[in-house]
Amino acid sequence: MADAGTSTALAQRGRNAKKPPLLLLWERSQRSPWVASVQFAAFAALLLWLAMLGAEQMGYLWQWYNIPQHFFREVDGEWIMGPLVKGLLVTLQIAAWCIILTLAAGLVTALLRMSDSLTGSALATGYLELVRNTPLLVQLYLFYFVISPILGVDRFWTGIICLTFYEATFVAEIIRAGIISVDRGQWEAADAGGLTRRDAYRYVILPQAVPLMLPPLTGQIINLIKHSAIVSVIAVTDLTTEGRNLIADTFMSFEVWFTVAGVYLVMTVSLSFFVTWLEHKIKVRT
Amino acid sequence: MNESVTAPVIELSGVSKFFDQFQALREVDMDVRLGEKVVVCGPSGSGKSTMIRCINRLESHDQGRIVVDGIELTHDMGNILAVRREVGMVFQQFNLFPHLTVLENCTLAPMRARKLSREEANRVAMEYLERVQIPDQANKYPAQLSGGQQQRVAIARSLCMKPRIMLFDEPTSALDPEMIKEVLDVMVELAKEGMTMVVVTHEMGFAKTVADKMVFMDHGEIVEVAPPQTFFNDPQSDRTKQFLSQILSH
Amino acid sequence: MSSMPSQDRKRKISWIDFIVVAVVIGFFVFIAQRISSVLIYKWDWSMVAPYIFYFDDDTGEWVANLLVQGLATTVRLALYGIVISALIGVIMGFCRTVNNLFLRMVARVYVEFIRNMPPIVFIFVFYFFISSQIMPLLGVDDFARNASPATLELIRFFAGDPLLFSNFISGLICLAMFEGAYITEIVRAGIQSIPRGQWEAATSVGLSRFHVLRYVILPQAVQRIVPPLANQFINLIKDSSIVSLISIQELTFMAVEVGVSTTRVFEVWIITAVFYFVICYGCAYTFTRMERRMGRSRR
Repeated sequence: MADAGTSTALAQRGRNAKKPPLLLLWERSQRSPWVASVQFAAFAALLLWLAMLGAEQMGYLWQWYNIPQHFFREVDGEWIMGPLVKGLLVTLQIAAWCIILTLAAGLVTALLRMSDSLTGSALATGYLELVRNTPLLVQLYLFYFVISPILGVDRFWTGIICLTFYEATFVAEIIRAGIISVDRGQWEAADAGGLTRRDAYRYVILPQAVPLMLPPLTGQIINLIKHSAIVSVIAVTDLTTEGRNLIADTFMSFEVWFTVAGVYLVMTVSLSFFVTWLEHKIKVRT
Repeated sequence: MNESVTAPVIELSGVSKFFDQFQALREVDMDVRLGEKVVVCGPSGSGKSTMIRCINRLESHDQGRIVVDGIELTHDMGNILAVRREVGMVFQQFNLFPHLTVLENCTLAPMRARKLSREEANRVAMEYLERVQIPDQANKYPAQLSGGQQQRVAIARSLCMKPRIMLFDEPTSALDPEMIKEVLDVMVELAKEGMTMVVVTHEMGFAKTVADKMVFMDHGEIVEVAPPQTFFNDPQSDRTKQFLSQILSH
Repeated sequence: MSSMPSQDRKRKISWIDFIVVAVVIGFFVFIAQRISSVLIYKWDWSMVAPYIFYFDDDTGEWVANLLVQGLATTVRLALYGIVISALIGVIMGFCRTVNNLFLRMVARVYVEFIRNMPPIVFIFVFYFFISSQIMPLLGVDDFARNASPATLELIRFFAGDPLLFSNFISGLICLAMFEGAYITEIVRAGIQSIPRGQWEAATSVGLSRFHVLRYVILPQAVQRIVPPLANQFINLIKDSSIVSLISIQELTFMAVEVGVSTTRVFEVWIITAVFYFVICYGCAYTFTRMERRMGRSRR
């Protein structure tokens, strides 16, 4: 049997006959992933070149060689952490605290929202609307200028409390959506089987709902890491703050910002690969 | 040799199609002559829908060649468009455009692809809507029609492009039983007028009245090709016999 | 009665309510006690009120002051921002769905780049780039400086203080680039939500790819794009607060200024939060009503 490539005789009867070979070659190249990749690389290089050109015109002095020492530096045969690594550790510390607190606060909010209680659901709804309809930055200023003097906490914990206050609303919605998305028939079957509400949750609903929640919850951790950069506004010494300080000291704006952005990208992109993997795994299982 | 009189308008030779590892079509060979009515049947997953969808390149084949009306289907978009304008297709799920009225559904392609004026397109559309006996629904939206009516609109929509060939992909499978007949009636009419048709269906009554040629597929292969009398009364292959006994015993 | 939680179930008073009420009251008592006895904060709304509106004795008129001016800039940013970012979003979202791999890669990298970076890092990097390179290139500064009085009036009306015109435009571009990535995904989801059968039916009657999109897919996709787009508008209003960090004089920026100059930070930040809340909640409420009405008329 002839394959599609060799059937020139029949192709003559089609429209191909009218087309010059160069055009055909061009059309075929449009479908190749390699050609697209090369095009993309060229495009990226062009953008980069334009940026470099602009920087050159400003008389910008590139000092990439100065960046590594701000991660790690060797002093007297000992490796010490540079500001960027210290900042990264603070960012991770904030993220870790926030994940724990956010899960707890989100769970309580979700339960209150779904409860029979009048004031409970009203409180939860009010809280969600309040957070949803004001900017995170304004919330941060509110916490920094108003709440933290009242409670007497330092800026590090102000940052954590504010981020928790903000992120918990998303977690609450994820948990609620996960529970509600369990098929109605499952609730009815649990009721019909005479399970109490608690047993229905424990043995029927949650085992099905939790796997559904995991990917969006991981996605929320990505958002948490992204949003945590905002605490630099109140001078918590996280990665972004360290980056800004470094720029103030060394004037290497481009290098430092690109490096900081790169570090964030590495964290978030690797987490999003994890989410994709998780989603795939859960889809396969169910 | 009557081949010179009626040369094949659809010619599949050695067509194979893969979905990842799964081979949906295995070296399928088939000819359809002008005016011929071909009914394709077979168990679900046998590749009959895939084959018909390859003919107007809703799926691209991986090996072999498909020539429709003298045009070989390759990656060339111009060829594909040319073939699609000659070949009408009716789907299991109707696939009417929900945001357009019945009339607009029918005039869209003639106006955009054939560059007809609105008046001309409307005239043609009304003519075909009358043929499928729903001219009075012209200004309704698809959601307001019954399944049978929607499928007849879908047929009219295809006919408005004045195709030389019509493909039907299980046109009655998504219909309630009482609506199947009204759609089959339209198709029988169309067959009588001499339209070249390739129909994937399980409606064996329809096949017996209309078909010039029966094609039985299983596991991506064409198992048997025969005129309806032979096919129903004296099937050659065991797989055909088994299939027929299952489908006709109900 | 089913155990399944639902929106319409009758709520009743239970033991949870007592705990909730007790906790809330306890919290507020604690706060009030801290404010009055530990911080000894003196509330003084009268010091902050003039920064919203003040009465000009010379002209005998009420004049909008810093906070309202900031609010006006926020609204301008939001309105222009949604238009520009929707434009970016439609083009890039379309690129996300085409066959051409190159265009898909460009759009994908744009989206992932922005969505995986902290907004404030993006704003800082991009603003530095725009204000130092693109703005001089476009000659925006010179344009604003040499504009005729009539043009200046136009600029003042549409973009606020002409002296800050270039600054405003840079902030606007940053914001639009940022939101554009999210709208790209909205548009992509809208296009891809149209069932395959619609593509197949439209191509099988011989329409070209462009015509399929123009007459079959987009009209249907728009209905699914508009509600999340409206929601994105609210997000844009909120995200616009971030450009205060690059000295765009919108509401949050002005609030910081007023807070510093009056030292009445409690009042200033409560007022600012209320401003944002009223706008965003108002928009959300209106959009929901509109959506419901449109949903009804379509049936």
